[in-house]
Amino acid sequence: MAQLAMLIDLSRCLGCQACVIACKAGRELLPGERWIEIREVVVGRFPDLRGAFVPHRCFHCAEAACVQVCPTGALYKRDGFTMVDFGRCSGCGYCAEVCPFHVPRIVDGRVSKCATCLDLIQAGQEPWCVQTCPAGALQCGPREEILAEAQARAVALRERYPNAQVYGETQMGGLGVILVLTEPPEVLGLPPRPQPLPITVWKGGIQPLSLGAIFLSALTSGIAFFIARRRHLEEKNGAFARSGKAQASHHPNRKE
Amino acid sequence: MKLTRREFLRRWGAFAGAWVGLSHLGEPVLAFLRSRSIRWPWYRSEEVRVTYNYCDMCMWRCGMRVYTVNGRVVKVEGNPKDPKSRGRLCGRGQAAVAHLYDPDRLRKPLIRTGERGTWSFREASWEEALDWAAEALARLRDQYGPESVAWFAHTTGDFWFGDYLPLAFGSPNVGKPATGLCLTPREIAAQLTFGRGLGGHEPVDWENTRYIVLIGNHIGENAHNTVMQDFVRALASGAKLVVVDPRYSTAAMKAHRWLPIKPGTDTALLLAWMHVLITEGLYDREYIEKYTVGFERLVEHIQPFTPEWAASITEIPAEVIREVAREMAAHRPRAVVPPGRHVVWYGNDTQRMRALFILNVLLGNVGRPGGFYIPRAPALDPYPHPPFPVEVAAGGCGAATAGIRIPDTPGHPPRADGVGTKFATGPVVIQELIEPMITGQPYPIRGLVVYGVNLFHSIPNVPRTIEALKRLEFALAIDVLPQEHLAWADIILPEATFLERYDELWVASHRTPYIALREPAVEPMPDTRPGWWIARELGMRLGLADYFAWSDIEEYLNTRLMSVGLSLDRLREEGGIFTWSGKPYLEDYGEGEAPFPTPSGKIEIYSEALARAGFDPLPTYEPVEDPPPGYFRLLYGRHPLHTFGKTQNNPWLAEVYPENEVWINEEAAAALGLKTGDRVLLENQDGVRSGPVRVRATPRIRKDAVYLVHGFGHRGSRLSRAEGRGASDNMLITRYRLDPISGGAGMRVNFVRVIREV
Repeated sequence: MAQLAMLIDLSRCLGCQACVIACKAGRELLPGERWIEIREVVVGRFPDLRGAFVPHRCFHCAEAACVQVCPTGALYKRDGFTMVDFGRCSGCGYCAEVCPFHVPRIVDGRVSKCATCLDLIQAGQEPWCVQTCPAGALQCGPREEILAEAQARAVALRERYPNAQVYGETQMGGLGVILVLTEPPEVLGLPPRPQPLPITVWKGGIQPLSLGAIFLSALTSGIAFFIARRRHLEEKNGAFARSGKAQASHHPNRKE
Repeated sequence: MKLTRREFLRRWGAFAGAWVGLSHLGEPVLAFLRSRSIRWPWYRSEEVRVTYNYCDMCMWRCGMRVYTVNGRVVKVEGNPKDPKSRGRLCGRGQAAVAHLYDPDRLRKPLIRTGERGTWSFREASWEEALDWAAEALARLRDQYGPESVAWFAHTTGDFWFGDYLPLAFGSPNVGKPATGLCLTPREIAAQLTFGRGLGGHEPVDWENTRYIVLIGNHIGENAHNTVMQDFVRALASGAKLVVVDPRYSTAAMKAHRWLPIKPGTDTALLLAWMHVLITEGLYDREYIEKYTVGFERLVEHIQPFTPEWAASITEIPAEVIREVAREMAAHRPRAVVPPGRHVVWYGNDTQRMRALFILNVLLGNVGRPGGFYIPRAPALDPYPHPPFPVEVAAGGCGAATAGIRIPDTPGHPPRADGVGTKFATGPVVIQELIEPMITGQPYPIRGLVVYGVNLFHSIPNVPRTIEALKRLEFALAIDVLPQEHLAWADIILPEATFLERYDELWVASHRTPYIALREPAVEPMPDTRPGWWIARELGMRLGLADYFAWSDIEEYLNTRLMSVGLSLDRLREEGGIFTWSGKPYLEDYGEGEAPFPTPSGKIEIYSEALARAGFDPLPTYEPVEDPPPGYFRLLYGRHPLHTFGKTQNNPWLAEVYPENEVWINEEAAAALGLKTGDRVLLENQDGVRSGPVRVRATPRIRKDAVYLVHGFGHRGSRLSRAEGRGASDNMLITRYRLDPISGGAGMRVNFVRVIREV
């Protein structure tokens, strides 16, 4: 399948949170578990106010930090989305630490984040959140089309919202959730240039180092053993010289 | 202990393996173990069964498809065939499943054993509870007459206890909160002006409108599914939006202009807009001539109401008032000022709604694309039954289409709510049935049957309600959840939720008339029963068997459906919804086919009926009392995830929005030394307190008002999630101003001060 993406048009979102509950229901999430949060942002001073409802959910980064750090392969990319194989998740929480949007949580010992309703999409339906949105603020489709639609909408919205813009075209290698913003991202609490923790350090440094440390410790253990063994033998030989029979009675079948 | 090299190597290998495994590769191993317990998503099951319903999570009645797997409802979705949901649902609808499986649900019939109000009950069998309840009702009927029992009903299942059993029983005192506590002034104003009510679903032609003026209308916080869909589509296709509200509401966030009006002055603004349209000649002359009467009187009447006059009252600059009026006119007839729903604000509400309707009429938009369409309802025959001893007077959201009895029918017991004395006309107003329980005037009400109405979160003046409950000879409550007022009942009957029962058909007045089916997705929880069954069992015991001639509900529904050539099976085949075509616009009506059935056959700008009854025949502005120093006006409204006082305990909804906050203007809060998150108590002008509740210091509200989301602050319920959370607005509404025309209870006349919790 081509690269897919979702569109969330903040000019349309009324903050009703139907998506939040539809997701919770459709994905049978645990008590306390939610894959979508809606944050209300209002800026300015009475009566000159501007506001929007901003989704806080997995943005499905193309260069997903969570996927790169996931030690078990529970997080992986498919068709533009960041998928979760819950069966493989160990609940280590690395993903939660590196996500530049602070999205994943660990709930009941496993990762909790949008796992993408890809099977619904493949069956010709839409994700639960998209299906139910009364405002029609959400869409899902091929990423190129979604991006083009988002750009067209942002342009059309400039008259009403002079700062209307698209978010997610380039961030983190391109997001799988393209937002049409009514205000600049920093106003809405979104990082304009999200940075993951330096993954190269993690992947290229810490993990090989730890592996190296394992071998190093094995090596030193081995050397130590040989040294100890030699000393031991030397001691034993000395002792055997003093009372040889005891040793033989303890180990009758022993072959040296 | 001695080791050989081989033994050492073997042990080391195991150790190293375990170490590496646990430190690095262990995760896939553990994951593999976990994967043994993973299960398939429910929707891949072969067993998904679909049933049809209309949603009861609010009164909007969105059509739904209910998915059941292995006898468990897992998901509901909007029914794509339904003209209201169009395949989508709001968050409350989506949480219907959690309502069904709320562990706090009532599970057994209960009979009171101790003092009223103390939750002293014992479990009883249905047989015993029904016998007892019917005996008590029959005793009151025989001793004092059927009118001595009041019936309060709400929710989308209120047909049986609001529109059927009480009428067979013979009581005219049937109240629904949807009347005097919600939209009666609007419906009466529409009746007077257009000869027809608007009905439950505001017939705004959103898809064609180009200019929208919302006045106290909180779309997005009022999460009426269809309205949200249409509203956003209208904006997306370029419609301009003006929002008039003391609060920067969700809708205001989307607006081109937000006019933070001084609360209580809306009618002045509406009059000034009319003034500009008329004096600048911007109104629709042709339309006025063709469809209205009384315009010339309005021209005269409107002269003093200049934008400058209104500016001093509303605190909206005169120039802004002019500009908005001109913009409205520039877009007419595709400009609309939609009426809200909860219109009982200041006691002059019928007049304010008249002003709003007349403003729309000046824009020539009633019955025209982009304004208001004309709704129609399907004509289904009732199941044959003997005539009722009294007429329908309960009203409800669809009051206008159900017919409003004005005034009392001779030969029948008069209503006790004071129609004709306290107020002029309209359906029974529920809050005026409380007083007769205490004073015995005009005659005593001694019994109460309450179905799905939370008495303490809907009817103002809670201390008075409690006083009334203490005096009742008998109180029967039918409900799903252990709401606090149930503690005051003598008998509690646990109802099955709407997902577990058949119900009366939803016969919808809409652009396209339609009917919707409600059928059970699963069996009722043990020892809960459907409303129709409870009504029928009570009816049989009350000697009303002739009114329940049907053997079961399916026969009842099939008989009704037969009158329009349908059946239950056919309705299921059709996807749970059957739609007819409508006549939404004036152009759909031929000569002599008046869509405005007023006495004059035209839209009555000047109301002879009001003049005759001694009221202002043209709307005027009445000033309202300002808050005293140190007090704020108490405003209240909705959260999109909650309905009335009934969803606060829903496990999913309570998780996302567990308690309300009191909105206070950030500067006003700072002046009181308060910041967001501080816990405070609210005390009203009568010394009644509510809370504690958290402060939300925000620029989103004027300094003269505070705001609460309605329905929170349950105290004394058996609701494990809702109990003790937040503050109750209704507790603080000890005063209201009765609308002398419709009996609506204007509730925005209460003032509160904020007390820091110590």
